Amino acid sequence: MINVYEAVSANKTKSYFIVALFFVFVTLVVYVLGQSFGYYLGYAPGGIGYVGLALIVSGLMSLGGYYFSDKIVLSISKARPANRKKDFTFYTVVENLCIGTGLPKPKLYVIDDSAPNAFATGRDPEHAAICATTGLLEKLTRSELEGVLAHELSHVKNYDTRLMAIVAVLVGMVALMGDWFLRTMWWGGKDRDRDEDSKLGAIFIVLGIVFAILSPIIAQLIQLAVSRRREFLADAGSVEITRQPESLISALDKISADHEPLEVANKATAHLYIVNPFKGGISGRGPSTALKMVNQFAGLFNTHPPVSERIKALKTMV
Amino acid sequence: MIIYILLGVLAVLVLWFISTYNFFVSAKGRIKGAVQEIGNQLKRQADLIPNLESSVKGYLKHEKGILDKLADVRREIAQAVASDNVQKMSDAGSKLASILPSIKVVVEDNPELKGSDVVTKLMDELRDTADKIMYARRLVIDLTVDYNVRRQTFPSNFVANMLKLEELPGLITPEKGEHLEVSEAETKTPSIKL
Repeated sequence: MINVYEAVSANKTKSYFIVALFFVFVTLVVYVLGQSFGYYLGYAPGGIGYVGLALIVSGLMSLGGYYFSDKIVLSISKARPANRKKDFTFYTVVENLCIGTGLPKPKLYVIDDSAPNAFATGRDPEHAAICATTGLLEKLTRSELEGVLAHELSHVKNYDTRLMAIVAVLVGMVALMGDWFLRTMWWGGKDRDRDEDSKLGAIFIVLGIVFAILSPIIAQLIQLAVSRRREFLADAGSVEITRQPESLISALDKISADHEPLEVANKATAHLYIVNPFKGGISGRGPSTALKMVNQFAGLFNTHPPVSERIKALKTMV
Repeated sequence: MIIYILLGVLAVLVLWFISTYNFFVSAKGRIKGAVQEIGNQLKRQADLIPNLESSVKGYLKHEKGILDKLADVRREIAQAVASDNVQKMSDAGSKLASILPSIKVVVEDNPELKGSDVVTKLMDELRDTADKIMYARRLVIDLTVDYNVRRQTFPSNFVANMLKLEELPGLITPEKGEHLEVSEAETKTPSIKL
């Protein structure tokens, strides 16, 4: 039995650990690929080098994403601004949660879709936006809605939206580096004197190829692990705000029992939602160990932890 | 060499002292603001209730009890806001929340009331305003707990002692009394007779 405060701080520690692991991994990949480039082309790149170039390209891309991500996401999702009269419960619940947490009130949007779901976006609490579907607003009671919206608000409070943006940029950078490396290989490098430190060079080139192929996949897996960890953290944060684990549990039950897919969600925005908008997939609960292993492996590629696990974690806080 | 290490350690200590000092000062400021927020929300509630009363008067003619209760609550809130006393404000805030269930029973009992938009609106607004005050009080409690814990735990207690910071009461709840005890009857599963 752990209390809410312990759950939040334990979750924070685990999140930091995963993020640290991620940065170490990215640095390693960038170093190996940079070295390997150098050996392959027969000279160490001068000036800013390949790593610098990759950083600049991805940096520019991320800067755009950093400032405009909320607007892009909201327009992809076809969201309309919410108002107090039409969306009374939605509007006032968020208003109240903000009183309780001392956060500024985020901008609120509604998606006209009967699949119940919600997400938060924005680079910091001052520029945050929370979006809910009409299905969510209609199907949940006020208390359940408080649980869900407190979950979204704790994403905002924990700067999860910013963290995920940065992580996405790093994943993109790793993929970009790997891609460049493989392309250069294709075109062939400079003819070199093969006797000169050829052993070390060969090792680095082989390592480079392996890294170039594997690292984008590994980076993606770590990104998904970060995303899953943040979901647990936001669940714990939601309970810290509302002190009602039961209402979030019943909300998660209701949302996951609803098998209607959300039409406006896509792969790029899936990790933002409170529950994965693409339901279904492999849902074997049978005793077969083979199936279990398949499930576990498939679980690595999930943006969200299984709802049953989230509910189990929430029940320890009751 | 040694002198640089010592200077470095000193710099870290000074920075730590500054940030801890700033934490305590800003926590105090935030708590004060949060207390004022309770007053602000009560004021809003006091302004809101007469409006709601007049809009539902026609519907609730036969249920004079509800209107009387609302009027009582409004009077108490007005007094609490005028008194500027945190404790009184907090008590008045929970008053409305405590009469909400009885209003709900009346509404549930009357199908024609339940169906009417005006009454639904009244219930929504009452629940919302009660929630707002609950959350405003929650913020005072949370911020005070944070402040008091930092005041007493190592190593920030050094700064607190140096500045002679006092423990803040937050919202006063008696540490002895009925609300901390569970009676025999309360341990039984409630049975509902329909």
